[in-house]
Amino acid sequence: MSTRPTSTERHADATQDQGGPDTSELAERAEELLALALAAGADEAEVAASASRSVSLGFEKGEAKTAQVERARALGLRVFVDRRLGFVSTNQLHRGALHAAAEDAIALARSSPRDEANVLPAPRIADETSLTPAALRAALDPRLADFGIDAVVAHASDFVASVRDRDPRLSVDQAHVTGRIEAFLLRASNGLALEQTDASASGSVFGMAIAGSDVGGFDARGTMTRTLDALAQSLAQIGARFAETALGNLGAGAGESYRGPVLLSPEAFHAMLLGPLVAASSAIAVQRKRSRLAGAVGTAIAVPGLTVHDDPTDLALAGASAFDREGQPATRRALVSEGRLESYLYNGYAAAVDGVASTGNAMGGARSLPGLGTHALVVDGGDGGDEAALVRTLGRGLVVQRFSGSVDPASGDFSGVAKSARWVEHGALARPVREVLLAGNAFELLRGALVLASEPELVSGGARIPWVIVDGLTVTAG
Amino acid sequence: MLTEALQGFAGDYAELRYHRKRTRTVAVERGRVDQARASEHTGVGVRVMVDGALGFATTSDLEAGAIRTALDEATRAARASARAARGPRRTPPPRTALAVGRFEAPGVDDVALRPLGEALDLTLRLEERARAASARIASASCAYNEILEEKGIVTSDGASAWTRLVRPEFRVSAVASEGGEMQRGGRSIGATGSWDCMFRAGSAEALVDEAARMAVDLLSAGFPDAGRRKLLLSPALVGLLAHEAIGHTVEADFVRAGSCAAATPGPRLASDLVNLCDSGASPYDDGASGMLHVDDEGVLTQDVTIIREGRLASYLHDRESAAHFEVAPTGNSRAWEYDDEPLIRMRNTFVMPGESSLEEMIAGIDDGLMLDGASNGQADANGEFMFGTRQAWPIKNGKLGPLQRGVNISGLAFDVLSTVDAVSSDFRWELGAGYCGKGQPAKVDAGGPWLACTMLVGSRA
Repeated sequence: MSTRPTSTERHADATQDQGGPDTSELAERAEELLALALAAGADEAEVAASASRSVSLGFEKGEAKTAQVERARALGLRVFVDRRLGFVSTNQLHRGALHAAAEDAIALARSSPRDEANVLPAPRIADETSLTPAALRAALDPRLADFGIDAVVAHASDFVASVRDRDPRLSVDQAHVTGRIEAFLLRASNGLALEQTDASASGSVFGMAIAGSDVGGFDARGTMTRTLDALAQSLAQIGARFAETALGNLGAGAGESYRGPVLLSPEAFHAMLLGPLVAASSAIAVQRKRSRLAGAVGTAIAVPGLTVHDDPTDLALAGASAFDREGQPATRRALVSEGRLESYLYNGYAAAVDGVASTGNAMGGARSLPGLGTHALVVDGGDGGDEAALVRTLGRGLVVQRFSGSVDPASGDFSGVAKSARWVEHGALARPVREVLLAGNAFELLRGALVLASEPELVSGGARIPWVIVDGLTVTAG
Repeated sequence: MLTEALQGFAGDYAELRYHRKRTRTVAVERGRVDQARASEHTGVGVRVMVDGALGFATTSDLEAGAIRTALDEATRAARASARAARGPRRTPPPRTALAVGRFEAPGVDDVALRPLGEALDLTLRLEERARAASARIASASCAYNEILEEKGIVTSDGASAWTRLVRPEFRVSAVASEGGEMQRGGRSIGATGSWDCMFRAGSAEALVDEAARMAVDLLSAGFPDAGRRKLLLSPALVGLLAHEAIGHTVEADFVRAGSCAAATPGPRLASDLVNLCDSGASPYDDGASGMLHVDDEGVLTQDVTIIREGRLASYLHDRESAAHFEVAPTGNSRAWEYDDEPLIRMRNTFVMPGESSLEEMIAGIDDGLMLDGASNGQADANGEFMFGTRQAWPIKNGKLGPLQRGVNISGLAFDVLSTVDAVSSDFRWELGAGYCGKGQPAKVDAGGPWLACTMLVGSRA
């Protein structure tokens, strides 16, 4: 039996938050809206509410542009009337707005067709595979919770100066540093009462290198941390990577056309192969007959070396969370183990259609209906060594650092252009290339030869993914 | 209330923007309602210039006291930024003609007062129609979305404008399946205006039938040869080219950061058949989705000729960049919601029609491809772009061949425009259901005529 707190205990615990937005008024309004919806005729109702404060400084063309202070709040009301769906969100919390929201949601539901799967998922108690709001709060850096505009300005100014000072050819088109704290709470007619508070600092840089008439392709880097101590180091890392890539894009020339192995960065791996995999693992995609993975649970869908988790318990990742958009425990879960598809992703609706339990993958905020997706993708490393070792293994061919193109989640077909691409000769980076087009099919490539780097890398603070060599892409050079 | 809140403001410049946005959405897939939703996001965004620096703050509380508090917070933020500034102090935008009065786009009440149940009935019926179109249609979805916007814009130097508009949009997608193969067909439309305006180019039923047919036909389509090819681009792809590959490079903030258009206006960049514009109006056909009377700095939107007969003629400006380049602002400063700061954005971007007929253009190509249907697109600072396309037809000796698929095209924008050797006389707005992303979304439209050019084709063949 779990010793984790029940949802009611969690609520009591969570009200002791320090340094976050004052959620007491928000909770009152959420409960008021819930009561109004039930009084107006809802059979079931759920209110998601959020309140946030953020401070940021944006840079444009290397110079400070605008310092921003923002407070936001939102209420999202989902109702079911005779198993018919209605949803309304508002950021106006006065009584008239709440009345209107409740009435509008009921009216929308009454004009919708009945669907037996329109029920709220029963509240569930978390087990050891998920965080608790208390654990999330314990990880909250109190200095970050009180992050002010002066601190943001100082961090951002140092960050941009450090990038600019690396090389005069670097042009920082845009950059920002943001501190943000957000409280999210849920109230529902089935007794659900949850809330959690999270704080983070994030930064990004976007720009290119310019040498005379040579304008290099742009590069963009982002990061997120939950501690102030980690922010400066994290910004320095993305600044260095941005500079290396942007400068490396100068002097790009023609590539070569071929069909064969390509080395993908974690970002490109995610965009071209993992994105379609996650989309096809959606139970809704399967139910709606637009998934290539229909009927594939328990079968091999990729080479044995591929293991993919959804891990909302990893506090280093932006998607860390105690519960999902519907209040279900957000658990660490294997999506693919050694190439075998372990499970589809379920939110409450999809689970009701299939008569199973939600996997805690309802996504979204207070302004939207619960969606379906992953919290934080983690791909295990392989035996390919580091990035340099993979370049040696590739021997000759293309390195893709960023993919810009289209990926059809139904078919898995993708086509696009390789950005910040490099050509490898004799196992070493030889030169930057541009105007290189890529085409292939994600599901076919996942079944082919994959050489995974030994250690996954943080991708924009939101995922852990290794570099990978995939075989069989069609590369077309201009 | 906004004007009152500004009284006593002692900074260099202030801009207050009340923005109410109501979004209503219905979405249906395989007979199930995924979205029956209304959302309201309302508040005031305050941007100030104090001590030569910019500050921005917001409030969703519409009381005068809350707006003054936001003004104070923006002022403090600007001062914090000023203390850390290394460059020269910013100066307030020069005096210019600013909007005063009420501006309402057509169709607002027609859409805003229409019960959402009508849209839900339509999407349910059409989604069922798509699934019934062929036994090979495995799945279909239909969605309707509308954005109603009301804004009040007041600046410390005289703008005082009230604007109101509505943008409905409709999209359908069908997935066909056979032998483990899946292909998707889709169509989408959007407008600034009434429900009838949204369907001005054809009925909703015709769009659904086209999407279903596309999905089924793509199942048996082959792949064309890759390489540098002669192409005939549809108005949708021409619009995408105008927006992604050219439009972004001439946004003045991007120009100042070093985009490939950072030359003094005047040099020849394209074939003299190319005339490329951006407008807050809807020339050639009503209802373009990026229509705008007044931008979010209170500037009346101007028609901008970006490329005139192949020569760069103008960038797209907000008030600050216009002052930097010593030209008049063009009304391109836009914010997605009240809590977004205005940025330089496009409105309706297009290539002007020429004199050729489509038939003449096909007949004039010995070996090439006709392409239609933009699936996505992105461009780089150096003008390198990539577009995915949905459908391709080979052209051999002036004749169209059977449907092909899986084509993406890439090139350097101005190099490609230099290869243009024919422009058709017809015109269509095609990206009305589209959104542009630049840190925040913007509702835009784009279109043009058919256009013949040469560029790199990627394919799995």
